[in-house]
Amino acid sequence: MELDSRVPGGPLETKWERHCFELKLVSPANKRKFQIIVVGTGLAGASASATLAELGYNVKVFCIQDSPRRAHSIAAQGGINAAKNYAGDGDSIWRLFYDTIKGGDFRAREANVYRLAQISNNIIDQCVAQGVPFAREYGGLLANRSFGGAQVSRTFYARGQTGQQLLLGAYSAMMRQVSAGRIKVFPRREMLDLVVINGRARGVVTRNLITGAMESHAAHAVILATGGYGNAYYLSTNGMNSNVSAIWKAYKKGAFFANPSFVQIHPTCIPVHGTYQSKLTLMSESLRNDGRVWVPKKPGDKRPPEQIPEDERDYYLERKYPSFGNLVPRDVASRNAKEQCDAGKGVGPTGYAVYLDLRDAIQRDGEEVIRKKYGNLFQMYERITGENPYKTPMMIYPAVHYVMGGLWVDYDLMSTIAGLFVLGEANFSDHGANRLGASALMQGLADGYFIIPYTIGGYLAGTELPAVSEDHPAFLDSQKQAQETTRKLLSINGKRTVNDFHRELGHILWEYCGMTRNDEGMRKAKELIPELREQFWQNVIVPGSSEDFNQSLEKAGRVADFLEFAELLVEDALSRRESCGCHFNEAFQTKDHEALRNDEIGCYVAAWSYNGPGGKPSLHKEPLVFENVELVTRSYK
Amino acid sequence: MNWFIRAFSSSIGKKQIMAVTGLAFCLFVTFHLLGNLTVYAGRDSFLSYVKHLHSWQWLVTAAEWILLFFAVLHISIGLLLFFENLRARPVRYAVKKSAGGRTIGSATEPYTGLLILGFIVVHLLKFRFVDKTGTNDFVILSHTFSHWGWVLFYIVGVIIVAVHISHGLWSGFQTLGVNHPKYMPFIRRFGTVLSFVIGAGFASIPVLIIFTR
Amino acid sequence: MSKTINLTLKVWRQKGPEDKGHFETYEAKDISTDLSFLEMLDLVNEKITLEGKDPIAFDNDCREGICGMCGAMVNGIAHGPQKATTLCQLHMRHFEDGEIVVIEPWRARPFKIIKDLVVDRSPFDKIIQSGGYISVNTGSAPEANTIPVPAQKAELAMDAAACIGCGACVAACPNASAMLFVGAKISHLALLPQGRPEAAKRALSMLRKMDELGFGNCSNETECEAVCPKEISITNIARFNREYLKASFGSSEK
Repeated sequence: MELDSRVPGGPLETKWERHCFELKLVSPANKRKFQIIVVGTGLAGASASATLAELGYNVKVFCIQDSPRRAHSIAAQGGINAAKNYAGDGDSIWRLFYDTIKGGDFRAREANVYRLAQISNNIIDQCVAQGVPFAREYGGLLANRSFGGAQVSRTFYARGQTGQQLLLGAYSAMMRQVSAGRIKVFPRREMLDLVVINGRARGVVTRNLITGAMESHAAHAVILATGGYGNAYYLSTNGMNSNVSAIWKAYKKGAFFANPSFVQIHPTCIPVHGTYQSKLTLMSESLRNDGRVWVPKKPGDKRPPEQIPEDERDYYLERKYPSFGNLVPRDVASRNAKEQCDAGKGVGPTGYAVYLDLRDAIQRDGEEVIRKKYGNLFQMYERITGENPYKTPMMIYPAVHYVMGGLWVDYDLMSTIAGLFVLGEANFSDHGANRLGASALMQGLADGYFIIPYTIGGYLAGTELPAVSEDHPAFLDSQKQAQETTRKLLSINGKRTVNDFHRELGHILWEYCGMTRNDEGMRKAKELIPELREQFWQNVIVPGSSEDFNQSLEKAGRVADFLEFAELLVEDALSRRESCGCHFNEAFQTKDHEALRNDEIGCYVAAWSYNGPGGKPSLHKEPLVFENVELVTRSYK
Repeated sequence: MNWFIRAFSSSIGKKQIMAVTGLAFCLFVTFHLLGNLTVYAGRDSFLSYVKHLHSWQWLVTAAEWILLFFAVLHISIGLLLFFENLRARPVRYAVKKSAGGRTIGSATEPYTGLLILGFIVVHLLKFRFVDKTGTNDFVILSHTFSHWGWVLFYIVGVIIVAVHISHGLWSGFQTLGVNHPKYMPFIRRFGTVLSFVIGAGFASIPVLIIFTR
Repeated sequence: MSKTINLTLKVWRQKGPEDKGHFETYEAKDISTDLSFLEMLDLVNEKITLEGKDPIAFDNDCREGICGMCGAMVNGIAHGPQKATTLCQLHMRHFEDGEIVVIEPWRARPFKIIKDLVVDRSPFDKIIQSGGYISVNTGSAPEANTIPVPAQKAELAMDAAACIGCGACVAACPNASAMLFVGAKISHLALLPQGRPEAAKRALSMLRKMDELGFGNCSNETECEAVCPKEISITNIARFNREYLKASFGSSEK
């Protein structure tokens, strides 16, 4: 199958505007005749459902949490980028576009990224009007801060809780439409299958997590905004409930999965402390604005940080990258931390940590100023580690944080299944091989507020969609299959818990397909994962029944999907014969251990299609053509 | 007028009635205390205060009716709120601790309120609704407080009033929306001081009388 | 530094909303003090699971104190003994070896128990639906810097907007009142110029919805403020009271 990204022609700057004009419109009176399903209520899902409802569509929204307000977008700390150039430091739509595409190591579509930069400004306007309390200067105008991977100040923020505030804004817009009767929310629902009829996405089957009941919902189009799959690694900064299941089910129904191996490892997380740790916590990378990253110069130096004199400290980021210093992009910062620790210079009880030191900033600006900027982060750090970061430098280590990969979508954000749209982290579209800080919020909201409302209209207006009811055989089939899976999970009654399998899977991925990868390791992972999956289906224990609230069953279903998905992730990593962005294959590196891209063979999106159980997935390459930027080697020196 | 009744029948509306009537009670009690303290200046001063007060008979009567009206509102709405609050948590906690917000005053507010009602009834029967022909208020006062039982009863009574006010005063301001970073600390301190002054002030009178009789 | 402790847990177990529920006792052995409270429960659950029994149900998601999904009464205090901390961020170093820990779900008439420690907080969503928003359709917003907002007002609004909707305020309130939750939302929007046009309507409708759902009445006990993981101040309740007075008597809203 040929992948058609349907990027409109014409100059980059006017592509989107022209495309909007060329898209067919649904008349206001006809919008109410359409039913749209949105799965997921993070920034992308909430903003899409609110906007679609405002336009007059009927929207059904599903989320796994008890309230749409809890989706994991809420945990984003640092901020959201926009090309407002309020700081007057030379920012522009073009620069935001360029930074984003360069930050992504030239593995994203130009047209998508440019559109993202264009829309970024509207997002800020919209959020301010909704009452998002962004930080302000004393004069009352919006404040900005700088962030990794950029040399301008373009990040808007609400303390360390930007994601929360943006999500609450989108959530409240959504609640307004609930009271207007145009949105119906289905909380505590898990999507178990996508229903495709005559090649078009026409509904979903969900499990009511309270009663266990299977439910069918038909619609004219389905939007998945179910976030990323970072939890495949077990330990990640994702929420405990974040999973791959929804997009994995869509993949199995014919949606292509793009770049699954592009997993971002965030450099500033609180280090792992023990086996029974359930998740990792991010410390916003905005801390790198004022913090200096260092390790002792001598390997194995176990002195407490205060006792290590200045000239025995290695501020390795500042040393290696004098122009960006501590603000290098995430992938670079993460790999460097690993490199230092692998060289024995890691600190802390495990040796897998580096210092993030705000001592100089505290001395320069005073504790009060620092407290105002990062107070809540410091508090969080102290709660988790029991150490006071005002007195002793924080310890950080990289952790799985975000995935650039996701379902393949065209310029309209539609997957290879007609009528199935994918937004936010769940799609692959804008970040290439590495995402810059404060860009995830931007993308989620751009997709939901400003892109899907246009493109879905084009689809609905231009497509013949005969009515389908929820007792269509396709729904019944999906239900039957989901019930069968549930029955199987509950009947194995083995000896190992779901968590235990998940932990092992995470270990395999982290070890063999994590921050740095090599062919040998990946091949090993490709052997280990199917073995583990087999054991899972023979030896897992899932207590309880399918007819009530059963968290073990929820988790088991998700881990079962991770166990299948992980193989694709490794397959993808192995198939890419270069290093780029977050994907670092040791076989492809420069003398300075930087990622070595190969633009001759690497300028493509890897889109994988499903070939049935046991079948080997097929790789389809969407070529990436760069007409407006020059492919340079990323350098932050 | 529908909107008016609606405004006061919501939870905040009801509480704002509690606040206004409660603060009015605080005001009354303060003046009541100021008047009563004339007893320290001797029998004649006290009687002269009583006489002066009653020369404004229409005012006293009006005040009494208003106080009665307020009392009825405060008590009935208070009871309503109390039962609504009980109903809002049908299953109680097996273990419940204060996280540091509650005070003795706040935790006992409904109960001290009911005790105060009893206290006021007795107090009115003792001093207000008695046949005062051939006697005067000072005689009734000194007669009553010649008994240790009454002295104790009144001391306990006014302490309960003080406890009630210790929470009620600032709570009233808070409910009326008066919570300002500059003034609230003062209001809270004032509430504590006022409750102490009222408790000590009123309690001192029976003590004074039983010792100087 | 980390060490291990042993605890005795008394956990509320309730199969569903209709079940009567009871306390069950579990031994939590060799718990590293570096674990979070929920990780400790995970460990206990692993053991229960391997025994073939039904693990303890509890809500949680982000485990970094922001989603508002977790929460339980720990020894009679919402979110446990550490101030300004959600249950997921409470770490075991705050417990003594040999301690008995009583864990109960949030209790309030509007919060029905779904299972064990899991309660239904959808009444909070209903309150927001009744007016906790600014009516602005996507695309109709003016340029972001058109209306300046004094930094101090923006900070106060942010203080209130930090609410995570966990429900600890209701759980801790002796009257099961939701005034801190609603007051925070009212304050957040009333403090910003963008929120003023609908302030009166919002105050009236959100309060009515709150009352209708069966929450108790605030009696200013300030337990809510004491347990709030985001340290939201009761000045927000006062602002709500004030907004309500203004709306009732100073606006044409009915």
